[in-house]
This record gives sequence, C-alpha cells and structure tokens, in this order.
Amino acid sequence: MSDLFSIAYRPVWTVIIPSVVALLILFSGKRPNARESWTLIGSAALCYTVLSMSPVVLKYGPIQFIWFNLLPGIDFAFKVDALGLIFATTSACLWILVSIYSIGYMRTLKEHAQTRFYFSFALALLGAMGIAFASNLVTMFVFYEILTISTYPLVAHEESPEAITAGHKYLAYLLTGGVFFLIAILVTYFWVGTTDFSYQGILKPALSSTSKFTLQIVFFCFLLGFAKAAWMPVHSWLPSAMVAPTPVSALLHAVAVVKAGVFGIIRIVCHIYGIDLMHTLGLGLVLAAIAAFTIIVANFYAIGQNNLKRMLAYSTINQLSFIILGVALLSPMSITGAMLHIPFHGFMKITLFLCAGTITAITGKKTISELAGVGRILPVTLGAFLIGAFGMSGVPPLAGFISKWHVALGAVESGYLFFLLIIVVGSLLDVVYFFPVIRSAFFAKVPEDETLKGDMEEKVDVYAEKIRGIESRRALYLFMIVPLAITAIFSILLCLFPNIFSIYDLAQTAVKNIFGGV
Amino acid sequence: MSHQFPAIIVVLPLVVSFFIFFSGWWVKRAGYPLAVGALICCVFLSFAILLAVLGKGPIHYWLGGWEPPWGIEYRIDHLNAIMLVLISGLSMLVAVHAKKSVERELPAKTALFWSLFLLFVTGLLGICITADLFNLFVLLEVTSLSGYALIAMGEKKAVFAGFRYVVIGTMGASFYLLGVGYLYIATGSLNMADLSQLLPELINSKAILAGFAFILIGLSIKMALFPLHGWLPDAYTYAPSAVSAVVAPLMTKVMAYAIIRVMFTVFRAEFPISILQVNDLMVWFGTLAILFGGVMALSQRDFKRMLSYVIIAEIGYIVGGIGVANVTAMQGAIFHIVNDAVMMACLFLVAGLVMYRTNGHRIADFKGIFRTMPFTAFVCTVGALAVIGVPPTCGFFSKWYLLLGGIQAHQWGFVTALLVSTLINVALFFRVFDKGLYVHSNKKGPDIAGPSNNPYAGEAPLSMLLPAVILALAILLIGIFNQFIVTNVIHFAVPVGL
Repeated sequence: MSDLFSIAYRPVWTVIIPSVVALLILFSGKRPNARESWTLIGSAALCYTVLSMSPVVLKYGPIQFIWFNLLPGIDFAFKVDALGLIFATTSACLWILVSIYSIGYMRTLKEHAQTRFYFSFALALLGAMGIAFASNLVTMFVFYEILTISTYPLVAHEESPEAITAGHKYLAYLLTGGVFFLIAILVTYFWVGTTDFSYQGILKPALSSTSKFTLQIVFFCFLLGFAKAAWMPVHSWLPSAMVAPTPVSALLHAVAVVKAGVFGIIRIVCHIYGIDLMHTLGLGLVLAAIAAFTIIVANFYAIGQNNLKRMLAYSTINQLSFIILGVALLSPMSITGAMLHIPFHGFMKITLFLCAGTITAITGKKTISELAGVGRILPVTLGAFLIGAFGMSGVPPLAGFISKWHVALGAVESGYLFFLLIIVVGSLLDVVYFFPVIRSAFFAKVPEDETLKGDMEEKVDVYAEKIRGIESRRALYLFMIVPLAITAIFSILLCLFPNIFSIYDLAQTAVKNIFGGV
Repeated sequence: MSHQFPAIIVVLPLVVSFFIFFSGWWVKRAGYPLAVGALICCVFLSFAILLAVLGKGPIHYWLGGWEPPWGIEYRIDHLNAIMLVLISGLSMLVAVHAKKSVERELPAKTALFWSLFLLFVTGLLGICITADLFNLFVLLEVTSLSGYALIAMGEKKAVFAGFRYVVIGTMGASFYLLGVGYLYIATGSLNMADLSQLLPELINSKAILAGFAFILIGLSIKMALFPLHGWLPDAYTYAPSAVSAVVAPLMTKVMAYAIIRVMFTVFRAEFPISILQVNDLMVWFGTLAILFGGVMALSQRDFKRMLSYVIIAEIGYIVGGIGVANVTAMQGAIFHIVNDAVMMACLFLVAGLVMYRTNGHRIADFKGIFRTMPFTAFVCTVGALAVIGVPPTCGFFSKWYLLLGGIQAHQWGFVTALLVSTLINVALFFRVFDKGLYVHSNKKGPDIAGPSNNPYAGEAPLSMLLPAVILALAILLIGIFNQFIVTNVIHFAVPVGL
C-alpha cells in the first residue's frame, strides 16, 4: 500500500484527486457543507502532492509514469518536469484559495447550480494537471479538451442569454482551436513518428523531409490550437467570458485556462520545435511580433473599458502576450522570465479578480465609474487591488517586477532592443488603465444618495432588503477577504523571495534543460 | 460442440424467433425473456468464436457438411468475428432496454415485435458470418423485410416511411442480386474464396465490371451512402424507439462490412484500387456524405432525425476510410464501424429514455435532463462526446486513424471534411447540452422547472437505463483500451493487399 503513495505514483494522484473530488461533489450535491469540504480537502491534498514533487524533480530529474499504450508509438504517459511543475504549482495553490473564495462568493450571491459549479471546477483542475504533466502531445490534447469542455458550463453559469452566447463563443474559439491542434499533432506524428516532448525539440528531423514553409504553417496550427493563450486576433472569447461568476474568471485567468494556453506555447516552442529550429525557421521573431502587437493593442482596449472585469480581461490578454514574448525572444533569460510570469501573474491577477468579485458581491457595483468611495468601505479589498495593479505594471517590490526584469534582460540579450521598448511601453500603459480604478475608489467624491431619493417610495422595500442582504453577506465576507489578502501578500513575497514553492529553481532548471546548461 | 458454434449463433435466434411468434398466440409475456435469453447465448457464442479466431485463425464451417464451392460455407476471420460480437452485444443490450418502451409504444404487438427483432438479428448475424454471396442476399432480405416491418410499427408517419424504405431497399437488394448474378454467370461460383480465385483471370470482362458496379450500388443504397440516403432519416425517426436503437446503429454498419468483404475478399484489392480506381470515387462520396450529413443534421429540431443525419455523415467516414485504401485508414474505417455502432446505439437509447419520460424526441424535450435525469444526461454526454471525437472516448481514436490515413494518402479533402464534421458535431450536440443544462434562462435563485414541478421527473426504469449506462462505459473503455483492440483484432481484420 505504501508503494502507492511513493513518489513514483504522485503524478497519478494529481489526476486521481480531482476526479475523485468531482465524483464526491456530485454525490453530495444535496449537502452543501459536505460538498464544499470535499473541494477544500481535495485541493489541499492536490497542493500537497504537487509541492511534494518539486524537491525530487529538482534533485533527481523528471518523474515519469506510463499509464498504457494509447496509439502506436504514443503512450498515455506523464512526465513531471520542472516546467510542468511551475504550471501545476500555480494551479494547485490557487485552487485552494479560489475554493475558499467561491464558498463566500457563491453563497453571498445565492447562486444556482452550485453543485455543477464545483463539479466542473474540479474537472477543470483535472484538465490543468494533465496538461502540466503530459509527456506527449496526445496526452496533452486529451486533457486540453477536458479542460475546454469542463469550463463550458462554468462560463455559461449565469444561464442568461448573454452568458450562453459567451459560452458558445468560448466553445467556438477553443474547440476550433482544438481541431487545429489535432491536425498539427497528426502532422507532427506523421513526420517524426512520435509526439513526446524532448528538451531539444523533436521536429528537427522533419526538416529533411519537408519544406520550411510547411513547418511554419504547422507552427501556426499549433498557435491556433492554443487559442487559450488569447493572443490577438483570437482573444475575443476571453472578454466575453466575463459574464461568468468571479471564481470562474479566476479559473480562466489565473488558475488554469489561459495559463494552459501559454504553457502549451512554451511546450511547443521549446520541446517540440526546439530553440534551434525556431531560429532556423525564423519563427521567434514572428511570434514576438504577434505578442508585441497584442501587448500594445490589448493595453489600449483595457484603457477604454468601464466594466472592471472586462478591463481585467484585457489586462490578462496583454500579460499573456508578455509571456509569449518572453518565449519568442528565445534567450535563456527571457524564457526564465516567461516561466516565472506564469505563477507570478497568476497570483497577481487572481488578487485583482477576487477584489473585483468582492466589490460586486458586497456592493453590487461592476463598473469603474461607480466605484467612488469603495476604497473606504472595503479598505482591505482595495488595498489588495492596489498591490495587484502595481504588480501588473512591474513595480518593485512586487512579483511582476522579477519576471518583467528577466524578460527585459532577455530582450537585451537577444539583441532585439525594439522589444525592450515594447516591454517598457506596455508596463507604462498598465499603469494608465489601472489608474482610474484607484483614483475613483480612493479619491473620488462619494455621490450623495440622490438617485435613491427620487423614487424612494418604490425602492423602499428594495433598499431595506439590500441592507439585510449586506448584513447577511458580512458573515461570508471573511471567506472572500482572506484568500485575496493571502494572494496579495504572496504577490509581494514572491518578489522578495522568488523561491517560494521553489518556483525560481524550477524555472532555472527548466531553462537549463532547454539550453543544455547555459 | 464448439465447432458448431457458427451454425448455432444463426440458427438459435431464428428458431427462437418462430417460437416466440407461435407462442405469442397464447402467452404474450414469453417474448421478452426468450429473446433476451437467446441473445445472451448469442453474445457468449460470439465471444467464443472471437476467442477461437484470435487463437487459431479463421474458422471454416461447412453447412450440412457440403463442401464449398457447392455447399454454403461460413467463414469467420477477425473482421466478421468482431462484427458478430458487435451485433449480438448491441442487440442484447437494446433488447434489455426495449421491454418497457415496447410495452408502452406497442402494447398490442409485443410478441410480434420480439419475433421480428430476433429475425432481424438473425439476418445481421448471417450476413456477417456467411462466405457465400447468394446466401448473403437471402439473409440481407431476411434483415430488410423484418426491418421494414419493425419500422412500420412506429408512429403515424412510420408506415409511409417504412413503405419508402421498402421500395428503395428492394431496389438496393435487386441491384445486389443482379450483380451477384453477373458474377455467377461469368464464374459459375458463389463462394467468396472460390470467386477470389476465379476472378483475377476475368478481370477485363465487362460482365464482371457490371457485376461489381451493381453490387457496390446495391450495398450503397442499403448503407444510405449519400446521395442514396433518402429513405433513412424518415425511417429511423418515426420507428419505435427500441427499433431505431437496433436498426440504426447496426444495419448501415453491417452493409459497410459487406462492402469491405466484396471489395477486398471477393475481388482482390488490386481490382477496385489499381484497375478501377473506384476508391477515389469512394473518398469523394464519403467526403460529400460527411458534409451533407453534418449540414442537414444542423437544421433538425428532432433528436432522432438529427442522429439519422449524423449516421449519414458517419457512413461517409467509413466509406471515405475504405476509399483511402491504406492500412491506417482501413484500420480506422473498421474501428469506426465498431465505434459508431456503439455510440449510435448509445444515443438512440438516450432518445428512447427521453421518449419514455416525455413522449417526444425533439431536442426541446431534452430540457433540463441534467437535473431530472442525471444518468441519462451522463450517457448522452459520453455518447455525444464520442461522436464529436473528444478523447478519451472511442470516437477520437477511430478518427485519429482515419485522419492519419488521410494524411498519409494526401487526401486533404477528406481530412478537411473530417475536421469540419468535428466542429459541426460540436454545434449539434452542444445544442442538446444547452437544452439539458440551462433550464431557467435569465432567472436566479431556485429554478422553477425543478423536479417538483416536472410531471415526468426522474429517470426511466432501471432496465431501460442500465443498457445505456453500459454502452456509455463501453465507449470509454473501448477508447482507453483502443490500442489493445486495434493491435489484437482490428489489425488482423484489415484486408490483405492494401
């Protein structure tokens, strides 16, 4: 029995835990407290499992586990390497916090279909873990599709026409992307007879049997496959998905979905194509151009938003492209930065989303212009928001600084100073769009309740109910405030001690693997 | 004893069928246990045959001891062994499921239903087991005639749909018979193995060519290959739900099997591929069928009708895969015959379950099933994901082989059609999921269409539900263990000469 818990089987547990949790949630749907405790226990167990693997991986190298043979030459197999662990650590740690938060949020708003919500959430984590640890493209594809489909009911959770439309858009983008991903996998398999990730890339032999142009086309198929990374112009599902409840947005933006996208791109660039081939094909520059375009344009979109969550969505798009840019520069430093930005951005962005959700849940406000005076009602929340916002623009001592610094160094290292400019301008624009939020929350005049006076008679009941509502919400307030405080604190800590959860070591190991000890 | 299995597996359901028919005059209730019992025996027999084939290679059985080519020979290799397992397994599960729905939909005709049901299965088993072209025709007619009758038992419009099927189906059978006649005139033999020895010498004969064409067209009509599919949607939509659950998945797949047999066993692979190059034509018809079936399915409001068009598209997959004519694609086509039968049976059973509760099979009747009928919804989800081709369901893996084969043969049109069809299937089935998931648009709080308000709330009876759940699990298991199945069975089922 003790064997089953040994380190060799840990990769298996990372997918078994979420699936068991999902089933338990389904069967205890009638007892909310039991249901939520399953989620919490499961997330804690998962987090422990993932974290326990990093020292081993750092010391002895990847842990491999082969389930069974899936197709000729392709195993259904896991390989826990440093890169995968970075993503998995992010997801697993944030799952705990989001679970605590969603208890507060969902109960405060008395959301319907909570069982479905928690069930799909656990399945999404299953997908994320599988993507992180998959040892080849086909295994990754399996979990990639699980992730897409399990998040669909979450995106359309509100069941309003708008939400359902957003859900359809989500599916349309991501499953079409999935088809491109599939064809790219097939062609890869057809060329080289394997789809295993390898540190030096596997597609190099294909250069002898096919033209450069075809390889470039296939690379774009892969890129389209990772529409989850929300690079422009395949980004528009992400802002639309904002109609979903806040914990779902947190899942999309920080825990699993978009991170799976950029993670996939890193995998493709480094472990399928390989740095050499990327240079030969000149794809690094193309990818960097796409990312640079997205960074700037998404920033301008973000500046134009009045809906807080939509603004955050565009902010995510720009930060994701920042990660893509880091990879595209193909230098060790910039790739380190890109890898670091996965967890760092995760922690910062989740702070922002949890703050936005708390504001909506407690005060019912959704747009930036309404936020006047909220800073005084919810000081902790807005304080955390401030931290997250500065972190986004890379101000020290916040986590964003470290990753942006690395990418900027990488830009210098690779000699493309133009992209250094993009990084600087992008970071400045980050400040610009967060500024209105901070201004109106802390410094704007609190409007008198005049709007209410005009039609007081009709609204009396509503108003009393609101007060009562707020009081009952206070009880659940802590559930929301604690996670976001924790993530905010971590956003600072990760800058001061970037090696928490050995993230920095993992990133360095991953880069060392790719560049062979540079 | 065990060497008699090939005969018993056909004779047993035939005898029981007649027995049920006559006993039905006195004992109405005997039909169900007898039929299920016979089919369970068939399942065991088919597995025994499959194991024997896996262990010792193809089985030859001379009916009545008459030596071929004069007598009728049953010849079972990996391809038909797996078809036998498929047919007996699925029809057994559908039979278990059918009890309640037949009692509700055809209260006066239960004995007749069971008798015809077994006759239908007899025909299918016979088609797959025989190695004689004329015997195949006879059993094809047994299948078709009982199929017509079963379909016509359904709703009001079923009579007309059944009649249309009779007319077109008979044409198909006649074409087939005509083709067999040509071959018989030219060679004097009806035995498949014998023919394959005789035909290469006559390869330039116009009569052989005509015979081949007639057989191919006849089987294509029976298989509902686009554009010869006209009879299918109505027939499968208006048939009783238990009937469509057995006819829809099996009939077309068995015909696909027959095409593989004729093309690659009776004629050797060089004749259709190198000499006639009919395979390119098949790829194109397959491609068109995929696109046409998909688009037509999109415009349906009725779940069963939608599935019927999906079947037309799936036939396109199989025919296209056969036409690509390399080992990988052929593995995909054969594997897809198996997978598609399982997933279509699964989805038609879902239609039956929903029909039992709501008395309708429109997509609108699926409203809220995720809440009211969670197990049915689970089965529906698994089946739909398999049709879409989401791993780890079995549908993904057959699609993988088909796509890989298409890429190897540079059949880009077919590859594109497969991928487009994936997206179309997404749109198709997520409409159903939307209906099932989102019961209360733009309302918050406890929903009004909850179980308490719904008169049909709750799952269908266990005997109906269980087969569907088993099929859903089968879809997942076939997917997960696909490599085992492909390397041990399907790999050997691929015709020689590709």
